[in-house]
Amino acid sequence: MTATVDTVSPAAAPPRAARPHRRPAGRVAPYLMLAPAVVILIALLGWPALQVLGISFRRLDLGELVRGEVAWIGLENYRAVLSDPEFWVIGLRTLVFTAACVVATVLIGLGIAVLMRHLDGFVRVALQLALVLAWATPIIATTTVFQWMFDQRYGILNKTLVALGFDGFAGHSWFGSGASTMTVIGLLILWQAVPFVAFTLYAGLLSASKELYEAASIDGAGPWQSFRTVSWPAVRPLLTMVAFLSVLWDFKVFTQVWAIKQGGPDGDSTTLPVLLYLKGISGSHFGVAAAIAVLMLLILVAVTWRYLRLLTRSPETEL
Amino acid sequence: MKTRSQRVALNTAGLVVALLFFFPTYWMFTTALKKSNEILSPAYDLIPLSATLDNFVTAITKPGFTTFLTNSLIVTLGAVGCALAAGLLAAVPLARMRFAGRRGFVLLVLIAQLAPLEALFVPMYLIMRDADLLDTLPSLLLVYTAFTLPFTIWTLRGFVKGIPVELEEAAMVDGCGRWGVFRRITLPLLGPGLVATSVFAFVTAWNEFLYALVFMRDQSKQTLPVWLSSFRTAFGTDWGGVMAASVVYAVPALVFFLLVQRKLVAGSFAGAVKG
Repeated sequence: MTATVDTVSPAAAPPRAARPHRRPAGRVAPYLMLAPAVVILIALLGWPALQVLGISFRRLDLGELVRGEVAWIGLENYRAVLSDPEFWVIGLRTLVFTAACVVATVLIGLGIAVLMRHLDGFVRVALQLALVLAWATPIIATTTVFQWMFDQRYGILNKTLVALGFDGFAGHSWFGSGASTMTVIGLLILWQAVPFVAFTLYAGLLSASKELYEAASIDGAGPWQSFRTVSWPAVRPLLTMVAFLSVLWDFKVFTQVWAIKQGGPDGDSTTLPVLLYLKGISGSHFGVAAAIAVLMLLILVAVTWRYLRLLTRSPETEL
Repeated sequence: MKTRSQRVALNTAGLVVALLFFFPTYWMFTTALKKSNEILSPAYDLIPLSATLDNFVTAITKPGFTTFLTNSLIVTLGAVGCALAAGLLAAVPLARMRFAGRRGFVLLVLIAQLAPLEALFVPMYLIMRDADLLDTLPSLLLVYTAFTLPFTIWTLRGFVKGIPVELEEAAMVDGCGRWGVFRRITLPLLGPGLVATSVFAFVTAWNEFLYALVFMRDQSKQTLPVWLSSFRTAFGTDWGGVMAASVVYAVPALVFFLLVQRKLVAGSFAGAVKG
C-alpha cells in the first residue's frame, strides 16, 4: 500500500522529532475500530482453540467433564491416536478425497467460467441461474435430495440407467461400498462448491479487458493462445485463492459426509472430521477428539504452507 | 470470429451444464409436489403428471414450524448483522491504516479460517454453560458471528482495498471529514462487497446444524436444520414430506440469493480476492 489515508507510523519505529505532531486520536482510532472484532475472535475462537490445545493433553471423558476434574496425561492422547492404524487410513483417505474434490472443483469451475464468457445472453443467464440455485440450496436440503436421487429402489438415477438399458442397475446400492459412497459425497460437494469458483473466476475473466482479446486476435492468436496469454494471467491469482479456500473447506467437510451415511458402510467413508465427531461427541473422549483436532490443524498448515508463506510475504497482500 | 456451428456447440454445452446443475433443485421441487403413492412407484416419472400440495401442508402444519422458522431467521440475520458490523469496522483500518500489530492481526484472521469448527465444540459448550446461555438464541448468534467473522473481515478488507484511495483523498480535499468520506464514498462503493459477504455469512448460519442441535435442548429454541432432521426420523422414508420440508427450508436462502443475485453475478467477487 503506497498511499494511506492515515499515516500513523508503526510503533516499532520510534517517532522522530522532525515529524509533525499527530493527534493521539489518529493513533487510537484503528485499535478502537478493531476492538469489537478482536473481542469476538479472542473470546469465541482464540480462547476455545487454546482450550482445545489444553484438553488434548488431558483425559477428559464424561466423568471428568461432570466432576470438573483436570487430569493431565501428557502426550497420551496423541500416542493413542497416532498408534491407531485406522487414523492413518482415515487421514490418507481424507487427503485423497480433499485433493480430488479441490482439483475437480477448480477445473470444472474454470471450464464453466470460460464457457460463460462465450455464451449468448439467454443461455448465460440460464446457466447463472442454475448455478445460483445450486449454490443457495442449504446443505442439509441438498444432501437429502442427493440421497433421494441415489435411492436404491426408487431413485431417479437407477430408474434412468435401467431405462437406458443398463438393467444391472435395478436396485443397485450406491452406498454399498466406501469408494462409491465417497464418490456420491464428492459429487454432492462439487455441486455445491463449483458455483462459487465459477463466479469468482468469471469475474476475473471479465476484468481482462476486451481490447486485450482483440489485440491478441489481430496478432493472429488462436483460442488457446489467447486463453494462455490474456485469460490465464487474469485468473491465475484467483485460481490460487479459490484452490486454497477449497482445500480449507473440503478438508473440514463434516455435515455432508455425516448426513449421507454417518461415515459408513463399516466406517469406509469416515473422514477426519467424522472421526473427531465420533470420538468426541458420540464417544465422549473429548481429550482424544481434541488431539485429532490439533493434528488436523497441523496437517492443514502443512498442506497450505507454501501458499500461507506466499500470502505473508507478497507485497500485494501486504499483511 | 466464431463460426455459427461453434456458437451452437458452445451454447449447447452451456445448456447441458445448466441442466446438470439445475436438476437436483428441479427434482426436489417436483418430488415435493407428488403424491406419496406416485413417489414410491417403479414408473419412470421424470416429468410430473399431477401435482398436489399435500406434502407442503404436512410440512408446514407440523407443530412448531413457525417457531423454528423465526428462531432460524433471528439467529441468522442477527449473526449476519453482527459479523458485517464488526467486520466492516475491522476491515477499514486493516486495508487503509498503518499501525503496530496489523500484520499480526491479519495473520490471526487467516489462521482462524483454518480451525475445524466442530473441534471447538467442547470448550464452546462449556463457555455457554458457564455464561448461562445454553438454550437461548444469543448463544447460537454469538457462535455464528464468530464463525463467519474471519472470512467477513478477510473479504471486506479486499473490497476496501479495491476502492481507489484517490477517490477518498479527493473527497477530503473537497472538505469531507473522515466520517463523511466513509459515509459518502467508502460505504456506497462497498455496497456490492457487503452484499457478497453477507451471502456467505447467511449461508453459513442458515446451514449450521451441530451447534444448533447440541446447544438447544429446549425444543422451542431449535432451528430449521434440526427441524428438518427431526422430520426425517419421524417420517422414515416419506420422501415427499422430506422434499417439501427441504423446499420450505431452502426458500429463504433462495430468496436471499435471488435478491442479491444481480450484484453477485455482476462480478463483485473480484473484490474478495485482492488478498
